[in-house]
Amino acid sequence: MKHLKLFKSSLIALALTSSSVSFAQSIAITNATVHTVTEQGILNNATVVIEDGKVTAINPESVTADTVIDAEGKILTPGFIGSMNQLGLVEVGAVSRSRDASDKKADITFDASLAFNPRSSVIPYSRKGGITSNVVVPRGGESMFKGQTFVADLSGEFDSVRVSNNAVIIDLGAKSKGSRALDLQKLQVKFEDATKKLAKAKKKAKDAKDKKEAKEPSREDKVINALLAGDKALVAYADRATDLLALLKLKEIFSLDLVFVGAADSVLIADKIAQAKVPVVMAALDNLPGSFDSLHASLENAAKLTAAGVNVALTVDGDTHNLYQLRFHAGNAVANGLSRDAALAAVTANVADAFNVDSGRIAVGKTADLVLWSADPFELSSHVAKIWIDGKEVSTQSRQDKLRDRYMQQSNMPKSYLK
Amino acid sequence: MQKFLPSLVMAALSVSLTGCLQSEQQDAKVLINKNPYPSTYQALPKQNILIKNATVLTGTGERIDNADVLMVDGKISQIGSALTAADAVEIDAQGKWITPGIIDVHSHLGVYPSPSVESHSDGNEMSSPNTSEVWAEHSVWPQDPGFEAARAGGITTLQILPGSANLFGGRGVTLRNVPSQTMQGMKFPAAPYGLKMACGENPKRVYGGRKVLPSTRMGNMAGYRMAWAEATEYKRAWEKYDADYAAGKNPEAPVRDIELDTLKGVLDGEILIHNHCYKAEEMAMMIDLGKEFNYHSGTFHHGIEAYKIADTLAENGNCAAMWPDWWGFKMEAYDMVHENVAIVDAVKNSCAIVHSDSANTIQRLNQEAGKVMYRANENGFEIKPELAITWITQNAAKSLGLAEKTGSLQKGKNADVVIWNQNPFSVYAQAEQVFVDGAKVYDRHDEKYQAKSDFLLGQR
Repeated sequence: MKHLKLFKSSLIALALTSSSVSFAQSIAITNATVHTVTEQGILNNATVVIEDGKVTAINPESVTADTVIDAEGKILTPGFIGSMNQLGLVEVGAVSRSRDASDKKADITFDASLAFNPRSSVIPYSRKGGITSNVVVPRGGESMFKGQTFVADLSGEFDSVRVSNNAVIIDLGAKSKGSRALDLQKLQVKFEDATKKLAKAKKKAKDAKDKKEAKEPSREDKVINALLAGDKALVAYADRATDLLALLKLKEIFSLDLVFVGAADSVLIADKIAQAKVPVVMAALDNLPGSFDSLHASLENAAKLTAAGVNVALTVDGDTHNLYQLRFHAGNAVANGLSRDAALAAVTANVADAFNVDSGRIAVGKTADLVLWSADPFELSSHVAKIWIDGKEVSTQSRQDKLRDRYMQQSNMPKSYLK
Repeated sequence: MQKFLPSLVMAALSVSLTGCLQSEQQDAKVLINKNPYPSTYQALPKQNILIKNATVLTGTGERIDNADVLMVDGKISQIGSALTAADAVEIDAQGKWITPGIIDVHSHLGVYPSPSVESHSDGNEMSSPNTSEVWAEHSVWPQDPGFEAARAGGITTLQILPGSANLFGGRGVTLRNVPSQTMQGMKFPAAPYGLKMACGENPKRVYGGRKVLPSTRMGNMAGYRMAWAEATEYKRAWEKYDADYAAGKNPEAPVRDIELDTLKGVLDGEILIHNHCYKAEEMAMMIDLGKEFNYHSGTFHHGIEAYKIADTLAENGNCAAMWPDWWGFKMEAYDMVHENVAIVDAVKNSCAIVHSDSANTIQRLNQEAGKVMYRANENGFEIKPELAITWITQNAAKSLGLAEKTGSLQKGKNADVVIWNQNPFSVYAQAEQVFVDGAKVYDRHDEKYQAKSDFLLGQR
């Protein structure tokens, strides 16, 4: 625990030093339609000032900034937050030496952030979708614990890992070999044993005159203890309602910070999930009964869960390279009953809240991850006009644009000479 | 392997022994039934329908505003303004858009259905690099709930293909997207068969891993060439048999080979090639391969690099079926550009198609085409909805050999029609009513026209 906390704060210190060097400039975005995703709602003709990587003012009395950008009424939103993918851990899915998201031996302590590659070509490409940061999820190995998530921004800079080891991934439900019951049982036993061990250690520490005798918990135990202390979220992939209910019970017993992923059949128990305040991270377009665990998958689930009071976060399932499509998923959720505001929250604030990330809203003091859109952010016809990550404007140009430009040019020399 | 050779030799011997008499008694002619699993599809109950005041994208590149569409006896009868028809049911489509029924040239619905359980994983006979003998139709599970989901997205016709592990994956089948207890009940009447071929990484990975040919791209090419050489001999043997028989002789028929029947069907121009092929250099070779063995190289599916050889494709009459934005899952999918379809389309005599290869995106081919249109227009193109719709209607029908029957709203064509609640190239667009051969098969606002597969009945 102590070790982990130290690690976190040192990261923040690192981030602060680098940001104070690179962004001394202040930027004011004026005349924007600002979707704050806070109680302030939508602000028309508004001004947002950013400096040192943070939002420093919204609608100040007077605007003083090094750079002033007239948004001409366009929509400004928080940067969208991706999740549940392997961004920066995979360049080409089928090229084994470009993959670092899994390892047979990976366990609950697996920290894939060490392999994060901010130079991956998927990162600038994903910025086209207005994605400014992302919760990267390792795929682990044989253990039901797949490792720990980390949060990275999409600046492409070498310091873009913002938080590592911030949540624990567990994969539950239908199994090709064996029974789902054993995993649930094992999970419960793990928490029970750890609780007992903690109580024992506490008692021992009180009783023992020589404190040196108290044994330090194993690295694995430390992670379990962090889950029990609520310092880390337990992010559970599960679809069938019975699995979700079993997890809700564990949450109740052990006061876990629980997040559901997938949760195809969650609509059957939406009220219970809302009551337990467990966010659901789901793919809005998953509407086929892919397995007997997901018979209730539907395009309307995002809207139904939201209406029941569940905090829904949207993710793009499947290949990491599709992350940029997140905004279209949100649009489809709107077409199927979700309100526009709820859809925007589902790709910003709700993701941030589920993973305890300090972005996803436009408010003073928040990380300045912002996107200015040509028009409706969810529409196929719109595009990112400008995008800022950590207060710094970045480009949406990617190697795909270079390839297109090369092949759209006429030349009497081979295309390879066009650069 | 060449089973027919010994029997041919035998036939030749017996002919010479009997002295080749003209008066020789002929055995019954050996005939091959080319349609042993015939379509039993019948249009659903239908009425004549007059759709009024819509924005119509005809699928031929035309847009007609405030237009009426009249469907009579399952066919498009008339498109114009202020149409009247005494015996037709009128639908007011003010503010709505009408397109031809959407066609997906690349689907695995029914052969890789939902739920994806081992028991239903029937899409790829991965037991030999050449399985031209298998027919995807024999794997179709008509109760796949994916058919219903696709119908709600306006899909009226779709080609079900075998997977891409093999150089020759087998025959594909084109279906009408209507509920049925049998595959035959969905089969598009008189649609030509497709033959699935696959280039590149998949065959060499699957068979290279088993230490059999192919383990390289040159092994892929060798595998195709050996098969076509054999098929050429097979075709010749049958032609000789037919000629000899016609000449009054009593020749021994070649031994029937189900695998070669399919390849011969391609050489005879009856079966169309559908070739999983991502890369520019491979597509160019597959075009030459077709020329080497006298068949047309057909449609390239997943042509991620089609934009690099757009001219070559058009010159050779090849369609290219593409995704708007899938990439990076394999090395051969690394060079994707969003404008791929638009670049291919821009060449004269081109045939650009947007396909799905997905039980999920087949439900939104309109959006998939829309993505291409908007990205292209941000980068120098001026593509309009009336052109973009051709990528998922007319051009797709052409690829399937069905352009005379479906894919466009023209007098006499099948009345395959979608009514959209708005411009179909919006993320908020939804198909409201879908017609196949003039019969309503889906209505978003009327449960009566929302089919439910046996699988989901009673549990959802």
